[in-house]
Amino acid sequence: MKTANDVLSALQSAFPGVIEEAKVAPERQLWATVKPERIVEVCKYLRDNHGFDHYSGAVGVDRIDEGLFEVTELLASHGAHKVVALLKVKTPRANPRVKSLTGLYWNANWYEREIWEMLGIDFEGHPELYPLLLPDELVGAWPWRKDFKGYPDVTTGERAIETITPDGYTKYHIPPTQAEIEAGTVPAQRPKYPTFREREEMEIKETSEMILHLGPQHALVPGPFLLDILVDGERVRKAFLDVGYIHKGIEKIMENRTYVQGIPITDRLCYMAALTNNEAYCGAVERLLGIEPPERAQYIRVITQELSRIQSHLLGTAEFLTLIASPVYSPFLYMIIDREDVISCIESVTGARINHSFVRFGGVRNDLPDGFKDMTLDALKMVREKTEEYKELFLSDSIYKRRMEGIGVLSPSEARRLGVSGPPLRASDTPYDMRREDPYLLYKDLDFDVITRKEGDSKARIEVRLDEIIESCYIVEQCLDQIPSGPIMADKVPKRIRPDPGEAYYRVEDHRGEMGFFVVSDGTDKPVKVKARGPVYAYFQALPPLLEGVYIADVVAIAGSMDACTSEVDR
Amino acid sequence: MGISDVIPVPVAVDEELEKWTIWGRPLTDVWFTTTEKIHEIIDMGPIKNVLNWGRKNSLWFLMQPMGCCGVEMLVFGCPHYDCDRFGIFPRATPRQVDVMIISGYITRKYLPAIKDLWEEMPEPKWVMAIGECAISGGPFYDSYNIINNTDRFFPIDVYVPGCPPRPEKFIEGFRALQEKIKQRKDKRGY
Repeated sequence: MKTANDVLSALQSAFPGVIEEAKVAPERQLWATVKPERIVEVCKYLRDNHGFDHYSGAVGVDRIDEGLFEVTELLASHGAHKVVALLKVKTPRANPRVKSLTGLYWNANWYEREIWEMLGIDFEGHPELYPLLLPDELVGAWPWRKDFKGYPDVTTGERAIETITPDGYTKYHIPPTQAEIEAGTVPAQRPKYPTFREREEMEIKETSEMILHLGPQHALVPGPFLLDILVDGERVRKAFLDVGYIHKGIEKIMENRTYVQGIPITDRLCYMAALTNNEAYCGAVERLLGIEPPERAQYIRVITQELSRIQSHLLGTAEFLTLIASPVYSPFLYMIIDREDVISCIESVTGARINHSFVRFGGVRNDLPDGFKDMTLDALKMVREKTEEYKELFLSDSIYKRRMEGIGVLSPSEARRLGVSGPPLRASDTPYDMRREDPYLLYKDLDFDVITRKEGDSKARIEVRLDEIIESCYIVEQCLDQIPSGPIMADKVPKRIRPDPGEAYYRVEDHRGEMGFFVVSDGTDKPVKVKARGPVYAYFQALPPLLEGVYIADVVAIAGSMDACTSEVDR
Repeated sequence: MGISDVIPVPVAVDEELEKWTIWGRPLTDVWFTTTEKIHEIIDMGPIKNVLNWGRKNSLWFLMQPMGCCGVEMLVFGCPHYDCDRFGIFPRATPRQVDVMIISGYITRKYLPAIKDLWEEMPEPKWVMAIGECAISGGPFYDSYNIINNTDRFFPIDVYVPGCPPRPEKFIEGFRALQEKIKQRKDKRGY
């Protein structure tokens, strides 16, 4: 199998003089600085000749001292090898321009749009540089730049202007004040581009078509987003997704906190997966610090994270069942009953129900309590029995099967092209799991299967989740059997966390897919940049093409089977 | 306007009736009444207490999960916590609800939408702020996109702190709202 060194030597021989400052650290990560004018060719070479078919995201860093912006492209492979290529492009701060990779990788679209609206880096050749997360008033302020001054004063409600439109609707708008314009927090003049509404109305070609709005508030989706579908009769012709309704600017906030203060913020990135988010962030900082948690701490991390996976999948499936059969509330209630037992187990360790802040740099916060093993084994036994029962119920229910089979089919090649990860990708016959692909903690020693399905439809996605619940039960039981005694914190963790200057990328298998944290340090006690590469961001981007051509009634069956978490998309 | 303007009665009867009062108001006002007048009278009399007793025991809330507190809100409506026993029930559309729970961060982009939701709710209606973000911005107080003072936009009756508050705290918050409605001390004055 290819190693990072092989890829690096191949790159250097194919592109002499283009690759600057290359290194391999740790063993599976290839860091290289590429000349900006050749980045598209380098990526095309890697994609075609070395199997880098997974575009995993892009990170924009503002190096204000050097007068540069850096864009790091993260490339990986779906099973051909286990190398992650992190290709860095530098561009001057005065006139930032980078070549767009949307021609090579379809899913580069949203990542580049986000960097454009937050940092103001222009992507040449990008088809639609429109704002994604920010409200229209803030576009042009480039809030993630280091010289962005403060934050707009939106604390006074009297500033909201109420207008009545000719159609009778009430609109609210917060205009910028003179002080804000002078300070540069809000641009005086908005850049000219069509709004979301105008863009979708441009697509209406015939009088028989109309736009149907689902959202932003929508029954039982976990968080607000706007899904507009352009329908022709009963068929969806095109779908449009507008996100950013709960964009909090987590990455910018983390730049203003110390490293330890960043941990509680990562909880709130996706509250269903708080423990894995903690793990991804702490793992990246541990890599910068060069420490490794002791064995018992690793076991505790795996136990809590797998328990958390069980509760997340239970809630995700429960929500989905209410979506497809909304008057029938009982499946939701049954799964919540199971989930409460698992939550009690996690709570007995971490002390919190959903936002744990439990993982620490070099260990965990506290040890397992007395009687944890018996309590957990009882809960797992119950969860396993109940999950088997749910699977049997779904298999025997002909209405459920007719509603779900063959709906929203993602073929393996299509799923890889769209860049989804986690259960939707594994339901499309691709065994891509970070626990195997990029083994962190103890996962390389543990015995578990990567659950896959061949069909790739909504039914397969739910089956993968239910099977993963059972697999997670098995992992937790193994860990409870094997867990050694010992310390729960590494010895040489400094009191004040000040990693050496450098960058680290660490990815874990979130409950929903590939979650990576990219942390840049400059030697002070605050990070220069923290980037969260979330799985749901990738699902959401893949949703509009998946919804094209389906019936209106199937829209919720497809969107719900993805198990979305809007908070993580918006960040 | 007197009775004799509508039906033929002796003037003496008319004059006599004009002296009669009900709860301190002329009877003729009540006789030729409008909806507003009925409401005024209900507001004065003890009948309001009976209505509020009914209202407080049937608080349906809007299922509008926005953040971490939204997950606890889902759980709050389920077994183990079972809000049904207090007459509290989740509904999916603003047209059917009495209480809106602000369960998370309000951003610049979401404010118009959530204001629309509030206006779509029929009277009488109440709003609760649950979680730190809804009260004061919480951990995201210094974000460029978060609105900190939610109470400038909504007449919030009950604040439930916590990040996120446990489902038991939701019950406590609703009990406080019920008590407020019973004592007629809520912000909108029902």
